[in-house]
Amino acid sequence: MFSPQAKRRWQRFKSIKRGYYSFIVICILIVASLFAEIWVNNRPVIIHYNDTLYFPSYGDILPGSTFGLDYSWETNYRELNQHFTENPDAGNWMVNALVPYNPFENHFIEGEYPPYSPSAEHKHYLGTDMAGRDILSRIVYGFRIAILFSLFLLVITYLIGIFIGALMGFLGGAFDLVFQRVIEILSNVPILYIIMIVASIITPSFWTLALMLGAFSWMGLTWYMRTETYRENTREYVLAARSIGASNWRIMFKHILPNSVSILITFFPFSVVGGITALTSLDYLGFGLPAPTPSWGELLQQGTNNLDYQWIAASAVIALTIVLTLVTFVGEAVREAFDPKKYSYFS
Amino acid sequence: MKIIKSVFILCCLLASHHLFAQSNTLPTDLKWLINDTSAPWAEPKALKGGVFTTFMLSFPPTLRTVGPDSNSGFRNHINANQLGLVGMHPNTQEIIPQLAQSWAYGSDGKTVFYKLDPAAKWSDGQPVTADDFLFTLEFMRSPHINAPWYNNYYTKEIIDVKKYDNHTISITGAVAHPQEDLHYYYAIGPTPKHFYKAINETWVKDHNWKIVPNTGPYQISKMKKGKEVEFTRKQNWWAKDYRFNLGRFNVDKVVIKVIRDVNIAYSHFEKGNLDTFALIQPEFWHNKAKGMLYDKGFLEKYFFFNDAPRSSSGFFLNQDHPILKDKTIRLALNYALNFDKVINTVLRGDYERLQAFHTGYGEYSNNTIKARKFNLDKANELLDSSEWQARGGDGIRINNGQRLSLDLSYGRKEHSERWSILKQDALKAGIELNLVLQDSSSHYKTIMQKQHQITSLAWSTSFRPAYWQHFHSENAHKPQTNNVTNMDSPELDEKIMQYRSETNKNSRMKLAQNIQQMIHDSAAFIPDFKVPYTRGAHWRWIKFPKIPGTKTSDTLYSAFSNGGLFWIDSAIKIETKTARKSKTQYPVVNKMFEQYRASTP
Repeated sequence: MFSPQAKRRWQRFKSIKRGYYSFIVICILIVASLFAEIWVNNRPVIIHYNDTLYFPSYGDILPGSTFGLDYSWETNYRELNQHFTENPDAGNWMVNALVPYNPFENHFIEGEYPPYSPSAEHKHYLGTDMAGRDILSRIVYGFRIAILFSLFLLVITYLIGIFIGALMGFLGGAFDLVFQRVIEILSNVPILYIIMIVASIITPSFWTLALMLGAFSWMGLTWYMRTETYRENTREYVLAARSIGASNWRIMFKHILPNSVSILITFFPFSVVGGITALTSLDYLGFGLPAPTPSWGELLQQGTNNLDYQWIAASAVIALTIVLTLVTFVGEAVREAFDPKKYSYFS
Repeated sequence: MKIIKSVFILCCLLASHHLFAQSNTLPTDLKWLINDTSAPWAEPKALKGGVFTTFMLSFPPTLRTVGPDSNSGFRNHINANQLGLVGMHPNTQEIIPQLAQSWAYGSDGKTVFYKLDPAAKWSDGQPVTADDFLFTLEFMRSPHINAPWYNNYYTKEIIDVKKYDNHTISITGAVAHPQEDLHYYYAIGPTPKHFYKAINETWVKDHNWKIVPNTGPYQISKMKKGKEVEFTRKQNWWAKDYRFNLGRFNVDKVVIKVIRDVNIAYSHFEKGNLDTFALIQPEFWHNKAKGMLYDKGFLEKYFFFNDAPRSSSGFFLNQDHPILKDKTIRLALNYALNFDKVINTVLRGDYERLQAFHTGYGEYSNNTIKARKFNLDKANELLDSSEWQARGGDGIRINNGQRLSLDLSYGRKEHSERWSILKQDALKAGIELNLVLQDSSSHYKTIMQKQHQITSLAWSTSFRPAYWQHFHSENAHKPQTNNVTNMDSPELDEKIMQYRSETNKNSRMKLAQNIQQMIHDSAAFIPDFKVPYTRGAHWRWIKFPKIPGTKTSDTLYSAFSNGGLFWIDSAIKIETKTARKSKTQYPVVNKMFEQYRASTP
């Protein structure tokens, strides 16, 4: 399935331990965050009530009436749990999530004002923010949003960047010339300001924000893709393909693209870092995803405004540093593994 | 264009000349009123002297009080040292004399007569005369001051100023008001004619940094552009021994420094470079203002309840919105928003719930109105009886496939925490609130175009409740008006029009109260918070009367205006400054003053 070249690169990547282990850790983090509802949630994992098992983690809300409570809105599981423990004879029980708070929930402790410092007693392992929301929970869900956001952003920029870059290199001439100018103009647009202006008029959603950022950040890739295509275009295998009558599309995407994509992959981790940073800085400035979406930037902003509560800023900064460092390590290793100076092939 | 301008000036000049030429006669049936009985509100034994240092966040762009860029906070300092004809007693709201010794009301309901105090003098020694008031009209109507709002106001609202002799004038406004309100609506101050002489095209540019003669207790004596402004007390101020000024305006110099960051300013305060510091913000009061300086009694904390008109702050529901036009939904929303929880958690119990649209307007407020308290049972009951009975899988109510989902737009990102708490509790009633944060100017724009659903907004206070702009149907369903709830009710319209034209004080108060009840009944305005106090800290050398402020004080540390109550005890200042390094312990002061706490919550 993989070419010997890809296998060799993978071996090389694995041999760079720092990058390889970072890659494993980041994968675990992503997978764990994708299933965050199970382990970070105010909804319990399993409830046993009147000989019926409930798995409330996903899906619709279970109104209080499900468990014999007199209200029709979502069950307050913390109260329900207390109710269960006070009446052990009924045989009802529940298994709580590891972090029993969802990122939107304002938890207030009687007689104290938020933010609450980290405490194992209240299961606020990283404390709460200014509105009494669990920081760990917001970091986990914030991470999921940030990483999905940057992956989605990456897909957009790569699709546009590769397509236009390949066309520029392959077609050349007037098309190349015109697009070079277009890209130069677009590259000089201060994207963060544009987004701020737009965000002050409409409230951006996940998709609009990603599309907006994507629309202005595909340009960097085109240069590499263009040069690669130009170079590959003159190689014998392309001439051979052309001589047996392959269409332009086929030559471009079947022959040239696979041979030039390796250089783009080395940018992959750094684009992820860029995406996370962009979202975080927009959220920090208040122009990102609308409140109360869990977000690292928003947490950072609360933290810097309230430096007396060190755990807020510290949590966000440490989480950000860890993730960005991990991704950068992966990026380094990928670059090493794909380094053409080490392995070059002439086919 | 130039010709038109000069013709205009010529007309103005002719008009003013005409006023001089005409000898006006006073009506004979005038009843001249004075006030030498109201209680003064300062401490007559206050010590004079000392330098009071405070700060501003930016240097004023100009010293003019009219024209371009003049609308900065600094203008208040200048205006506070320009006395009016009469003032208002800060505790009893009675009229008290300032430049005028006595006043009388004309029979038409819109004219007030004033007898000027012959002792009144400008800071350059010139007497204040009737001509200075006539000149105000000319000045404010001049196109050269580049202030269309004033041009318009002094033409359409202030109809005429008449001179009867050097110290007697009358002012006539456009519409009749209750007698005492006339002083407010048609208040004009003198403009020093001898100083300005002529107003020409270059007036704005020429007067950016001119120090204009004034009539109040202080005058600007020094200015370092971009750094500080110094006011010095007039040693022989003409009104210094007057009943209502005794014991006030005690410090010799008021220095206002530019400090561009509040946190840095606070550090200056702790160093003793600033004498006082307002601590309204919860994080300042609770977190910053503590520590050794407070524990050792060097810095004293005052918490002072006032009773002034409160800003009409809360959620405005757009009644043109298909969901919100249903009163049941509006009522349910009133009950589904847990403002008390916000107050008791993120606001640290510092704010209070605002009860009605106009609170703190004395008899004009309807204190029987209570904002609807959070009550899920009532909210759910109301919604269950409406067409929104069914709930979707996420607990949000649905009706014909539409979710009960409403946008709450707001313009300040510090408020996100508050509203996210409301959002959580509203979910229990099956209402989804989407928090839509906009930057403040586009937030305002959305509201003005009436494109909002629910919006968080605060209208500034006014002298008397004003209803026409906010609730009359003439301003509904169209952009750029202040009727942001799109209130459209013929009964309310009728009351509002009666209120506007009523000149009997008591009937007017009754109308105001009725209107407020109708606003409450409509459920289109959900009041949120009020801050019924001012608070701050000061060094122990700043001394106050027994009651450190007035009923309407918005700060205890104002050196001008209705303030100027505090004084500096130089002996204590020297003692304290030398004691700073030692282990001296003074009594800890953390006082609360509840004299003016409104009895109705």
